[in-house]
Amino acid sequence: MIGNIFLVIALVAGIFTVLMYFLTYRGYQNTLNYARISFHTTAVMVMAASALLLHAILTHEYQYKYVYNYSNSELPTGLLISTFYAGQEGSFMLWALFSVIVGLILLDYTSKRGDLEPRVMMIYTLSITFLLIMVNPLLKSPFNYIWAEPDFVDIKNINPTYLTIPALQNFIFTDTQSNKQFIQVSKELYNILHANNIPFDKFIIEGKGLNPLLQNFWMQVHPPMLFIGFAMSAVPFAFALAALLKNDYKEWIKQALPWVLAGMMILGLAIMLGGYWAYGVLGWGGYWGWDPVENSSLVPWLIGVASIHTMLVQKKSQERDGTSRFVKTNLILCIMTYILVLYSTFLTRSGILGDASVHSFVDPGMTVYLFLLIFLFSFLILGVGMIFYRWKYLTEHFTYEENILSRELALFTGSVALIASAIIILVGTSAPIFGQTVDISFYNELNLPIAIIIGLLNGLSILLKWKYTDKSQLLKSLQLPIIASIILTAIIFILSGVQNIMLIILTFSSSFTFFVNGEIALSILKGRKSFIGAYIAHIGIALFLVGVVATGGYSKHQQVDLVKGEKVNLFGYELKFTGYKPIEGGKKYAFNVEIRKGNDVKVASPIMYIAEFNNSLMREPDILEGFSKDFYIAPISYDETGTENSNSVKLKKGETFNFKNKEITFTNFVLPEDMSAMMSGKSFKIGVNLQVNFNGKTIYIEPYMENTSDGPRFYPAELKEADLKVFINNMNASEGIVELTFASISNTESIQSEPKEILTIEASIKPFISLIWIGVAVTVIGFLISTFRRLKESMN
Amino acid sequence: MKNKYMFGGIIIVVFLGLMIYLFTQTNVQYENDFAKVMKSGKTVKATGTWLRDRSYELDKTNKIFSFYIKDINGNVMKVIYHGAMPNNFESSTSIVVTGKYSNGVFQATDILTKCPSKYQEQTVQKAGS
Repeated sequence: MIGNIFLVIALVAGIFTVLMYFLTYRGYQNTLNYARISFHTTAVMVMAASALLLHAILTHEYQYKYVYNYSNSELPTGLLISTFYAGQEGSFMLWALFSVIVGLILLDYTSKRGDLEPRVMMIYTLSITFLLIMVNPLLKSPFNYIWAEPDFVDIKNINPTYLTIPALQNFIFTDTQSNKQFIQVSKELYNILHANNIPFDKFIIEGKGLNPLLQNFWMQVHPPMLFIGFAMSAVPFAFALAALLKNDYKEWIKQALPWVLAGMMILGLAIMLGGYWAYGVLGWGGYWGWDPVENSSLVPWLIGVASIHTMLVQKKSQERDGTSRFVKTNLILCIMTYILVLYSTFLTRSGILGDASVHSFVDPGMTVYLFLLIFLFSFLILGVGMIFYRWKYLTEHFTYEENILSRELALFTGSVALIASAIIILVGTSAPIFGQTVDISFYNELNLPIAIIIGLLNGLSILLKWKYTDKSQLLKSLQLPIIASIILTAIIFILSGVQNIMLIILTFSSSFTFFVNGEIALSILKGRKSFIGAYIAHIGIALFLVGVVATGGYSKHQQVDLVKGEKVNLFGYELKFTGYKPIEGGKKYAFNVEIRKGNDVKVASPIMYIAEFNNSLMREPDILEGFSKDFYIAPISYDETGTENSNSVKLKKGETFNFKNKEITFTNFVLPEDMSAMMSGKSFKIGVNLQVNFNGKTIYIEPYMENTSDGPRFYPAELKEADLKVFINNMNASEGIVELTFASISNTESIQSEPKEILTIEASIKPFISLIWIGVAVTVIGFLISTFRRLKESMN
Repeated sequence: MKNKYMFGGIIIVVFLGLMIYLFTQTNVQYENDFAKVMKSGKTVKATGTWLRDRSYELDKTNKIFSFYIKDINGNVMKVIYHGAMPNNFESSTSIVVTGKYSNGVFQATDILTKCPSKYQEQTVQKAGS
């Protein structure tokens, strides 16, 4: 209850902050202090509400629906904390929490830089109020009590001592399908418990728990990072709108630049952490699957990165000759970055992608859906409306011509390439809204040439000078990197075997980026080191792209059956399944696979287990990581043949089953002529008459069951010309059902022999996937250095 | 101004053109009416539910997984998939299979299973009412 009060106060204070900042912006003298106090109130209230929610989770207060739905007492502390944002309400809370923290820093930052504060903070606080409306008790607050709306709670989560209370019997339901019992919690139940002096947190003693897919280390890192990125992406939006409000477009660029850099660094890192999660734990096989959820956060990142480059042009041109180039581009890109974050939220949270994504999100209900739309459109209209309003002024004052051989034009063209990539991904990802969907190849084929263009433009833009470049000078500076790139590309492809022309060009293009940036980075090391950021970031991108080429073009994968104790040769390695053992107290099973190359033996232990949470088989891959390649083992299934026949079919009378081009119809049971044997319990036979159609022929065969004093024995039937053997597994003569196993005679040993333990895995070799992670780390370092450099400059 | 629009324009026009072309080539439609799926023979994403009472088959030697799927109108078709049984298959409430219908069966290249976390509540609500 207190949590909801905090959230409501936060929301009201937020609205008041926006109002006070607006009045300050309009020239009122004494409203600034109110605005600041009020913003701090919002911040403190959001923090207090978050602390309260965390406390409720840590102390297992299951009277809160949110706590009940996503956590339980078995989770270790780290994961328990992460259930804070396992559901929709909590993740919006987390977003709001990071937003107020970013807001406090932003307030301090803007208050030291001219008259920025009222305009920027007004817009930024507006974005916070929208988030606070999302978690408001009327929409979806994490503090809503479980009895507020009728809900069913599994009886195993209820304190058994209270179940005998007669008044409760009316609330117990049995699900006929699963035979589970549930208690319907509602206001009436709450009143009854209250009347009996039973506190609700003693009544429900266990929660539903966290989805096992989310139970790993990355759950504790990836989502918070993503929400910090989201929270920070509203800052450039606020700066752009502040500039439009004042109709002054000079100052905001240098003031916003460190924020854009830091925001995109964090968002980019968050996206790739998600990629590593998918690769290393979820067993998707790759670092990127073009899944709608991944895509929808990549799109704003691409736009944000494009904006960094054109903002740099404006900043440089202002410093050099007072002209402001790409003013409109910068405004639009900064606004669109945040709009696309909101659009991404809408796509992934509204349930609209229901069928298209691996991340299944539950339909959040109509009100949330509508509010998300309102949220999105409010900011879209605000942003686009302001640009529209100032368009004439902008066009009259900021129209310039760029020289062909200028860094300005190269950077602009590079940004356009990034934008094109963003549009392509956006269209592909949005297609499910219209009942369409695109193949993965759509993204790969279109983004490959864009990556090539970006790599080439990147190297070129650095060799080009601002404003104008002398042709002969450019050609001279191009020589060394081009020659080096050709040599490197040639070496790579001679070693690996040439296959795909586009991948060769991409390798050349990323080598070009690598050498151009590397050369400059080396020379900077002797000079002003704070200038090295961009070059390091670009080297990281180049390494990343080489990793993309290597894993994309040269990965090998194959599904193999590993019989326990038997060696299998694969990709030049020798694989042997040595058995499984229970881990984590018997909750999971690790399947040990010995991987031998020469004298080097390593053991990979992919994991499989049945999760109680959703009653399904969970699989976790294991990876032998190396610099030049990863050996990736994803478990698929484990079987003990002989104890269970995987190939079995249940047939009713008259039904047909198709086995290797043979049509087998179960016609009828052949009962013993002398029924008395059956009645008196003596031994008797029942045949299963099967009609086999193959090669245009029809032949009948009859496997049978003999019922002896030892119980039933089944006898198979063979049909040599059809290479068919049929086993009976079970039959039910009264219902007319028989369960059969079909096999080829030439291949029946495995069914009759001793039980075998077979582990089926998907093994793959991912060459140089390490370059992807190294590239990301290097890029992040580059971003970090640049952020500090631009932060210093923003004070001037 | 001209250079800027020329270079930026070329990239945008070329790639958006390519995009539209590839979109029409690779797009796959969602279809919940199997009558249409069987008729058209095009690659689609067919959505339906698994017919529990007809179980499923796992052909180990040929690595074929097959089962029956039902659409909203009650049309049933057999789905054949070369690969392992997907996670969550048995607890799924709905299934999206990508592929095309030929020779009397739906040849799936991909299976997506949907298991809402509210699954329990839904079944109970049915039983309770």
